Amino acid sequence: MINFEEELKNFHPSLEIDEAEDAIYNQDLTDMADLLVNMIKDVKDAEN
Amino acid sequence: MKCFQCGCELSDKDFCTGCGADVKLYKRIMYVANRFYNDGLNKAGVRDLSGAIVSLRQALKFNKNHVEARNLLGLVYFEMGETVAALSEWVISKNIRSQKNIADDYINDVQSNPTRLETINQTVKKYNQALSYCYAQSSDLAIIQLKKVVSLNPRFVKAHQLLALLYMNGEEWEKAQRILHKSLKIDVNNTTTLRYLKEVEFMLEGDETAGAKKKKQNVSKDAVTYQSGNETIIQPISPKEPIVGVPTILNVVIGIAIGLAVCYFLVVPARVQSARAEADEQLRLISENSDEKTAQITDLEQRVEALTDENAKQQEQITSYAGEGGALQTVDGLLETARKYINDPEDLDEVSDELYKLDRTYVENGASEAYKALYEELLAQVGEKIAEDCFREGTALKNQGDYSGAVELLEKAWYFRNTDAEILYILAETYQEADDMDKALELYNQLLTSFPDSEYADMAEQNIADAATAGSHRGGEEGDENTPGQPTGGNGNAGSAPNADGNDTGGGA
Repeated sequence: MINFEEELKNFHPSLEIDEAEDAIYNQDLTDMADLLVNMIKDVKDAEN
Repeated sequence: MKCFQCGCELSDKDFCTGCGADVKLYKRIMYVANRFYNDGLNKAGVRDLSGAIVSLRQALKFNKNHVEARNLLGLVYFEMGETVAALSEWVISKNIRSQKNIADDYINDVQSNPTRLETINQTVKKYNQALSYCYAQSSDLAIIQLKKVVSLNPRFVKAHQLLALLYMNGEEWEKAQRILHKSLKIDVNNTTTLRYLKEVEFMLEGDETAGAKKKKQNVSKDAVTYQSGNETIIQPISPKEPIVGVPTILNVVIGIAIGLAVCYFLVVPARVQSARAEADEQLRLISENSDEKTAQITDLEQRVEALTDENAKQQEQITSYAGEGGALQTVDGLLETARKYINDPEDLDEVSDELYKLDRTYVENGASEAYKALYEELLAQVGEKIAEDCFREGTALKNQGDYSGAVELLEKAWYFRNTDAEILYILAETYQEADDMDKALELYNQLLTSFPDSEYADMAEQNIADAATAGSHRGGEEGDENTPGQPTGGNGNAGSAPNADGNDTGGGA
């Protein structure tokens, strides 16, 4: 049995066009490749 | 694939041939990203849009620079009505690869139509408004807003889902089912949609089962059910049909009444209107004909009047030619005179009478040249002699006291010889003696005017003066003694003149 209140929580306001710029700037674009590069860099820094 | 450290193109080795960096793990990450992209592409191909979103987002988590995955994710968002999210992905994609990027076309396509963009923005605003209504427990307002949203943007999956949820909350299962089916046509494998649909179908099945049971109970009350072999026979308990006679008749009567009413209120006014229009048209035609006839009558009356006037003029003209004293008669008279003169040149009495009767004014003004010539010829032949005879006889009668006969003959003499002052003087004197002073004075004055140097002019002046004196004296006597006056003609020979022969033609003649 679906709970209306609980289901309603799954719906979020949609982005308006005015907010698109902020959404683009605030988007977290870190990917696995970045993490790998950072990890390698950290290892190298630790070795040095 | 390029090295994350130096940017060189990687080979099939596990290290970079340019900088020697270990790229084994990096290559694996790229492969995983590509695998998720392929998965997303496959799901998008079968309209599993929500599944495609998950896969593509995973691909981008492994490789944020995967332009194809990002562009496809934008397209999927756009297809689900999430335009702003789609634009965000395309903008980032464009930022990663500025040249030869299909995202450029997508962005231009959306931005080239401001009206469409504004509609999309309004849709998003209404959806957010509806969501706030939902939180505020205003389901009716939320439904109204969401209906507008799905009509403006029929691919907005989240709006469909929220609308279906609201219907489900209001136990309007069939409406919810319709909305969810529409949503499924856009995104065929959306978990939320499928979950809601399952719930709705479950609830609808429950209703159908309850309805079927109720129906069965009704049948069992109204019918007898028994088994005949393999068949179940349901026989109604009261096979009689309900009495339908009275309601049928009533319905027929009501139908007839409605028909009559329609006829009265619709058909009759139309007929009346038509007949009235026809009558008006006929009246107009008759009026036009009447006006035309009136104009014709007026014209004919004018023509009759003109012809009557012309006829009168012609009648007058005919009369002037053929009537008494007319031209024809005058011509006839002259011709008759000429004939008589030719027959008997010695008998001048009739010739003189006929010539004297002729209108001299006509001779001078209206006569033809031939007429004038004949007239002048006759006058030259006989005029002098007639004048002489008439003068002599008239003078004799005057001396005898026959003034009327004398006047007649002297007038004739003056007619035939109007250049003789003597004739005029004797004529005036005769009038004076006949006691016609007005005529006498007129002739005296004529003599003074026409023959001022004549010997008779002095005598005429004297006679005029004497007449004036006698008039004043007689007026004084009449005023004092009331006695009749004496005729001026009776005072001796004062006014007498010598006749043509030089003899005294006075009272002693």
